[in-house]
Amino acid sequence: MLKYWRVWLLILFLSASALAIGFKYYPYGRHVVEISFVSDSSPAKGVLEQGMLISAVNGAAVDSFDDWSKATQNLSSGSVSLTVNGKDYRFSVNDTLGIDVMDIERTNLEFGLDLRGGTRIILKPSSSNVTKEDITQTIATLQTRANLYGLKEMRFFATTGVDGSNYIQIEAAGVSRDIVENLLSKQGSFEAKVLKPVDLANEKWSMQIGDRFYPVSVVGNSSIEIANQTVAENGTFSLEGIEFQYMNQTNNRLAFLAKVYTGSDIELVYSDPQHSGVRPSGNGYSFYFAVLVSEKGAQKFADVTTGIPSKVDLQTGERYLDSKIYLYLDGKLVSDLNIGSELGGKIYQTPQIQGFRADLQGATEEKLRLQTILRSGAIPTSLKIASVDIISQTLGSDFFISVLYAGMLAGLTVFAIVFVRYRRLRTALPMAGISFSEVVIILGIASTNDAIIWASVMVIGFVLIAASWWKKHEIDIFAWVAVVLVPLLGLMSWTIDLAAIGGIIAAIGTSVDHQVIIADEALMKTDERRVYTVKDKIKRAFFIIFSSASTVIAAMFPLMLVGVGLIRGFAITTIIGVLVGILVTRPAYARIIESGIKKD
Amino acid sequence: MILKRKRKEEKDSKGRNYSHLLVISVLLVVFSVGFLVYGYTQRGDWFIKSIELRGGTVISVSLDKPVAISDLEKKLSEKFGSVLIQETRGFSGYGLSVEVDSSVNSTEVLNELNANGISTEKSSIETIDPGIGESFWYQAQIAVILAFVFMAVTVFVIFRTFVPSTAVILAAGCDIIETVAFMQIFGIQLSLASLAALLMLIGYSVDTDIILTTRVLRMTEKSVDERINSAMKTGITTAGTTIGALSVLYISSVSAVLSQIASVLLIGLVLDIANTWIQNAAIIKWYAVRKGI
Repeated sequence: MLKYWRVWLLILFLSASALAIGFKYYPYGRHVVEISFVSDSSPAKGVLEQGMLISAVNGAAVDSFDDWSKATQNLSSGSVSLTVNGKDYRFSVNDTLGIDVMDIERTNLEFGLDLRGGTRIILKPSSSNVTKEDITQTIATLQTRANLYGLKEMRFFATTGVDGSNYIQIEAAGVSRDIVENLLSKQGSFEAKVLKPVDLANEKWSMQIGDRFYPVSVVGNSSIEIANQTVAENGTFSLEGIEFQYMNQTNNRLAFLAKVYTGSDIELVYSDPQHSGVRPSGNGYSFYFAVLVSEKGAQKFADVTTGIPSKVDLQTGERYLDSKIYLYLDGKLVSDLNIGSELGGKIYQTPQIQGFRADLQGATEEKLRLQTILRSGAIPTSLKIASVDIISQTLGSDFFISVLYAGMLAGLTVFAIVFVRYRRLRTALPMAGISFSEVVIILGIASTNDAIIWASVMVIGFVLIAASWWKKHEIDIFAWVAVVLVPLLGLMSWTIDLAAIGGIIAAIGTSVDHQVIIADEALMKTDERRVYTVKDKIKRAFFIIFSSASTVIAAMFPLMLVGVGLIRGFAITTIIGVLVGILVTRPAYARIIESGIKKD
Repeated sequence: MILKRKRKEEKDSKGRNYSHLLVISVLLVVFSVGFLVYGYTQRGDWFIKSIELRGGTVISVSLDKPVAISDLEKKLSEKFGSVLIQETRGFSGYGLSVEVDSSVNSTEVLNELNANGISTEKSSIETIDPGIGESFWYQAQIAVILAFVFMAVTVFVIFRTFVPSTAVILAAGCDIIETVAFMQIFGIQLSLASLAALLMLIGYSVDTDIILTTRVLRMTEKSVDERINSAMKTGITTAGTTIGALSVLYISSVSAVLSQIASVLLIGLVLDIANTWIQNAAIIKWYAVRKGI
């Protein structure tokens, strides 16, 4: 039995790989969908979380995203019961259920964006002197934004170009360009500015800040002088720790903008119904939410608004200050608000951010986006979108099926060629089997959450080899390397994308080549003068295949070190495939061929 | 017995004369280098790089039926400047890839495609910043050079003799140069995928050379020609299986990446037949006969 230890080793690795790929624990059955997002407006907010598994809606089983869409498309009001993580929940729906789901992964393989659809984004800091710490900080903030916004499965990587410039790479399923542009690449620097008018009184201008007055005089055409500083139009100056910008002069009024809060002053972003919401307004929807500002910032507001006269709005009859507060995000105006006259000179800690969108969904999304950016805070640098790859999911699944078909056809073609060449099923069939098992083992090594499986494989493999050695079967160093190295490689996991599929093709290509070499050497008719055993011939075959495998690994190795994401996956897959080939599958093939020849 | 050995020696000295065939491989190298130099004088660049390596936007669309490309190309280039449209075909229908400058708004291109009756429901958009493209290109060059150097060192370690090792490396080098030239002839751009294919080619190319060199240097009981013939039988089989599988991949796949890898490897493997079984065989035969191996 143990004479065939090479074959047993192959069977061990093969079954471990099959387990590593396919074995998954389903605590609530196989027929479930996974919650990917619970929106703020959902009645289930705070009860259900992403990652929970839904098995039924109103008693009807949901097995897929399509089932879920069908079951929930007409739910806009009334009561709904959900079976989540095996427990029943009942929610009363008002407007929207607000739960997004996705199909659960059936295997432990992680498929790349090009196979399952998604977006790959590369962001580039706008300024060139960005440090590694800045990038780390940026990624942490972006991660917070993604979590707050409910974007699932978004992965961030810091990458460095050869020229030393830093990039941030984001991979996500189903993220639109819109979200990248308006949520992720936004720096999120927030500023609130108050319009500070200074009117001519007694032939003089004087700016009041708190209870102090600063005389202002107009010099030349469009400049002013204040506190011994000459400031041109749009020029800035600082008074009492507040940054002012001189806007212009109209008649007897000088207009200034005073920066009262920045993002670091924001202590809380409200999302409760008292402080935030979306409501119909005119021919669309307006949204609003309040933020809590630090006392220091609020004090600046009080100082600046002191002394601003108030006026009556003729339409509503309400009294407002003759000023406005402007809220900017990344230098862009997001809201301008009237200031109630009762707030003038007072500490005002909860300014409200407002906006308008034509439809409800747009307003809700915009509100959430702004809240998210303000909550997560600013990132150290503004970001530019350097590249965006969007692959729609349908294209993704087509790709996958195409690749599968092509792989099967290619396999059949190779089998046909090999069969024609040798006209021996005993040579051709094992070749097909070995090549197939190599694919399975590569995928098994690439799969996630398989540490226990591979640890057991190492133990079993060791026992197997030790027992064979005990029984005085010939064991070579490669067998020992195989039982240690392959399970260790098994702990790795990487994404199966097109590049990895390219790598699998490369590995299988060399695999078939090497098996042809083994078969040719073993079946070669030898000169009658020298007697070669099949073992000797296989040894020569292995000299060739070890040489060629080492050149392949040598050629692929630098790619692992310098390569960009795409090529790295290719290189890693090829190298691992070739390693598994020379350590496990090709020796097993040689053993099968050897015993086949002996039987003839 | 004596008769047999005599026959072996006769065969070696007469045998097949590879040096005549060597003309073919010399012509191939000269033609390829000439073509590359000509291209360089025309474009000012040795390679035709894809958008991944020079920056730009490519929009791929899956379709149910084919479309008239030249018409579409004309319409789009009026609007967006220089546009390159390519058609792909596969199991799951037809495909279209549109390349535009990275400054063009891709949504507008999609709208324009829609306006021309092309459904963009199944589409993918890829935008690469020219700066990133340059950085990719730089890394790719380093990778190819390192790969070649590592391979060369490995080959020297394996054979530890100068002439056979150099012959193997020379064959691999010729493979790469000729393949790059033929890629330009067939209009295949240099992209990350085709670069990966070129690196794979280094491996495949060296494979056949190692079979040849090992058989000639180690299987000393037969005549040199017999050794070369036996190696060739194995080598052509391995190339045959790979070419077979790659042809299927090339014809069937709707994925541009895999088709490109397949087409580059197909070119390389065909050229490798000449470089291994003519060029390397001639050198190794000359070496073996001279050394009396």
